[in-house]
Amino acid sequence: MFRNRVGTRIQRTGLAVLLVSSSIWAQNASSSNQEIITQLAEQIKQLQLQDRELQARIKTLEDSQLKAPPLTEPDSAAPAALPVSAEQPGPPPTFDWHDLHGIQWRGFGEVNYQVLDQRSPELGTDGFVPGSAGNFYTGDFDLFLSAKLDDKTSVLAEIAFGELDHQTFNVDLERFLLQYEFSDYLKMSFGRYHTGIGYFNTAFRSAKFLLTTADRPLIMQFADEGGLLPTQAVGVSITGLVPSGRLGLNYLFEYGSSDTLRPDINGSGNIDDENNGNHINVGLFVRPEVLPGLQIGGSFYHDRISDSTMPSSVRIGQTIINAHVVYVAHGFEILNEGFLIRHALGNGVAFNTPAFYSQFSKRFGNIRPFFRYQYVNTNQKSTIFDDISLRYGPSFGGRYEFTESIAFKAQLDHTVRKNQPDLNGLQMQVAFAF
Amino acid sequence: MKISMAALLLGCLLTATLAQVSSPQNQDVAVVVNPKNPVSNLSGSELRRIFAGEKRIWAGGVSIKIITRAPGSYEHVVLLRLLRMNEKEYKQYWIAQVFHGEAQAGPITLFSNGMQKEAIMVFPGAIALVDLIDVKPGMKVLKVDGHSPGEPGYPAALNGNSH
Repeated sequence: MFRNRVGTRIQRTGLAVLLVSSSIWAQNASSSNQEIITQLAEQIKQLQLQDRELQARIKTLEDSQLKAPPLTEPDSAAPAALPVSAEQPGPPPTFDWHDLHGIQWRGFGEVNYQVLDQRSPELGTDGFVPGSAGNFYTGDFDLFLSAKLDDKTSVLAEIAFGELDHQTFNVDLERFLLQYEFSDYLKMSFGRYHTGIGYFNTAFRSAKFLLTTADRPLIMQFADEGGLLPTQAVGVSITGLVPSGRLGLNYLFEYGSSDTLRPDINGSGNIDDENNGNHINVGLFVRPEVLPGLQIGGSFYHDRISDSTMPSSVRIGQTIINAHVVYVAHGFEILNEGFLIRHALGNGVAFNTPAFYSQFSKRFGNIRPFFRYQYVNTNQKSTIFDDISLRYGPSFGGRYEFTESIAFKAQLDHTVRKNQPDLNGLQMQVAFAF
Repeated sequence: MKISMAALLLGCLLTATLAQVSSPQNQDVAVVVNPKNPVSNLSGSELRRIFAGEKRIWAGGVSIKIITRAPGSYEHVVLLRLLRMNEKEYKQYWIAQVFHGEAQAGPITLFSNGMQKEAIMVFPGAIALVDLIDVKPGMKVLKVDGHSPGEPGYPAALNGNSH
């Protein structure tokens, strides 16, 4: 305030002097030039003195402001519980800040166009029906809401309206979580969550808008869309930092049950009920300070499942190991994840399913071209993923951002399938957030 | 002729003085917190993680409340430089953070440093970037990497004109 007043005074004085000088300039030519110059010189001297005085007062005030807060605590970002200070200049105003009360709503939507050259229709995803005459579908419409219960406790829910055949829709509670953040080292969530197997599932959730590509890689597809992983579960999830200095080590621990229903993707119409037991999932990843945007990590998941082709008394040990290297910064998005899914029947027989995907993209203004390559190879002797077999191939395309909330994507896919014709597809999508 | 030259000289002198006094565009930006906050120093990476919403709780248990200036302000330019994002990336980043459940809402965005000061006083865990020239009583200025704003060694990312 004082600084503004000083500035205003200087400005007014300057304006006055300019006016005075202009008026003097315009005065009668008969006046002595010497006399005018003397007057001006005196005025300049006075202004200079005044200016110096004001600058000194400003400096004094600024110095006192900088020194005012006592920096007496140790130099660390680790305050104890904030102490009460007598320095607080008067009672603070009371604000009704919008983010402290009520429910925050967000939404994500998409409209899709897809064509495939497959002759025998496979499982459609997100409302797309392979083999039907129509090519448009809406995919998921997500409503995301969150509410803060207190400074450290919040609730979030994600409700997805998914398109089925004949433009009918179902409702899926994607996530429903009570979250508590004790500190950066301990954050707990209770409820229905996206499992932290690898990077993708928790980085992109179910909103297509957040994806660079038009769809998820097959290995990361949601289980109810034919994906291989237990992508959702109900239970408890604990995450946090591990004190590790500049390494930025984080941990993840999940205990819950997935109860996965997985339709075969070969169009047979079969649905596998894995009847999962409680799972345990632990993960570690580093985000080194030296290279912001880099994440390297892995996870280990284990539960026991049933196979619908076997008696329910037969339980199969399911172990999923993930490793990932991800870099997202400076307009680059480089995602690399590898998986090994192991099903052990308990009689010494085990089936391994390796899978990976790599995705590269770089933003150029509003356009982000991308390339993705994916690979899944299931053992055909296994009755769990026998509908998939070997599939691999590239996808490429581009994402154009109309605004920060609306994006258009075009994507071409080529998928090689073992003992079946190759599959080519075109996807176009408008995805948005609101 | 002499008169006109003197007037011109005077005008230039005053213009230069006024420009020096009123221009905030050459200042370091100070990192300010509530005066009750005992923190006095942050590392550059800690600062980036705080404004990226990755570090959300002061070690004492108080939640960090990020206060930012609106787009177009000097402080916002410095914030984007600190986070190494452009405006679009910044907005999309916070959409994703909210959707991931990492934040309940984006940072509180205010239209003046006066409003930032009010917010700093209201929230014990508040942190904001304020042009050094606009630092007011009621704001506690933090050192970054052991340096106060204006000192040699103060991170270049906190001066919007340094690059």
